[in-house]
Amino acid sequence: MVSPKHRSGSKRKVFVKTPGGKTTTHYRKRKPSSAKCGSCGAVLKGVPRELPSKMKNLPKTAKRPQRPFGGVLCTKCMRSKFKTVARAK
Amino acid sequence: MFEIGRLCMKLAGRDAGKKCVVVDVLDDNYVLIDGQTRRKKCNLKHLEPLNIVLKLDKNASNKVVIDALKEENIDCLEKKEKEKKAVTTRPKKQKVVKNKGPKTKKADKKSKAKYSKTAKSTTVDKPATDAKKPEVKKVEAKKPEVEKVEVKKPEVEKIEAKKPEVEKVEAKK
Ligand SMILES: [Zn+2]
Repeated sequence: MVSPKHRSGSKRKVFVKTPGGKTTTHYRKRKPSSAKCGSCGAVLKGVPRELPSKMKNLPKTAKRPQRPFGGVLCTKCMRSKFKTVARAK
Repeated sequence: MFEIGRLCMKLAGRDAGKKCVVVDVLDDNYVLIDGQTRRKKCNLKHLEPLNIVLKLDKNASNKVVIDALKEENIDCLEKKEKEKKAVTTRPKKQKVVKNKGPKTKKADKKSKAKYSKTAKSTTVDKPATDAKKPEVKKVEAKKPEVEKVEVKKPEVEKIEAKKPEVEKVEAKK
């Protein structure tokens, strides 16, 4: 039987295979929602979905793409933004 | 639209938002660009043309492109020519061979030929050769064996036979 504190859905289950061959369930914190584009809301690629404690230890280059508005806008929105800038002149 | 000298804005990648000039038309889809961006091949899909056309020759050099862009008030990072560093060699440490001392038979046999030549002069005049380094390490590594031998001295006769060698080595000191 699951212990009472784990009966709520607030923690995610991770199934771990033990050396003895049994599978046990580990209860971990839920991951934060994935990063979204600031203007269209699409899921951003190249931005890892990890707990802040783990993101802290990642290098800066692993956390967002290496282009202007990387990690904020998706490529579509970024390109259209620069297109409007170019055409305004 | 993308003729030589056309000013463009780059849309994709890490150079996005920077201005560049078409230097060469390579293909239906590709041009060579230079300017605020790096000088590189570029897909036309990644470029947005502006309404300025500069007078440039085909395959104009980086300097010419940058000068032409300066007249349009577009600043570029100029390439710094790498200054060749004057080769400053560190003064070599003169190696003083400390470990002439305790050698075992094995170390002796392997290193006799080279070691005897080099080790006689304690201060090495010639630059230390690469071949020599490992030899010294070997001798260091086999130190503990010698200690063992010394411990066993009283017990075994065979090892007593080895004694004089150790003494010889000490004599070399
Ligand atoms: Zn978007």
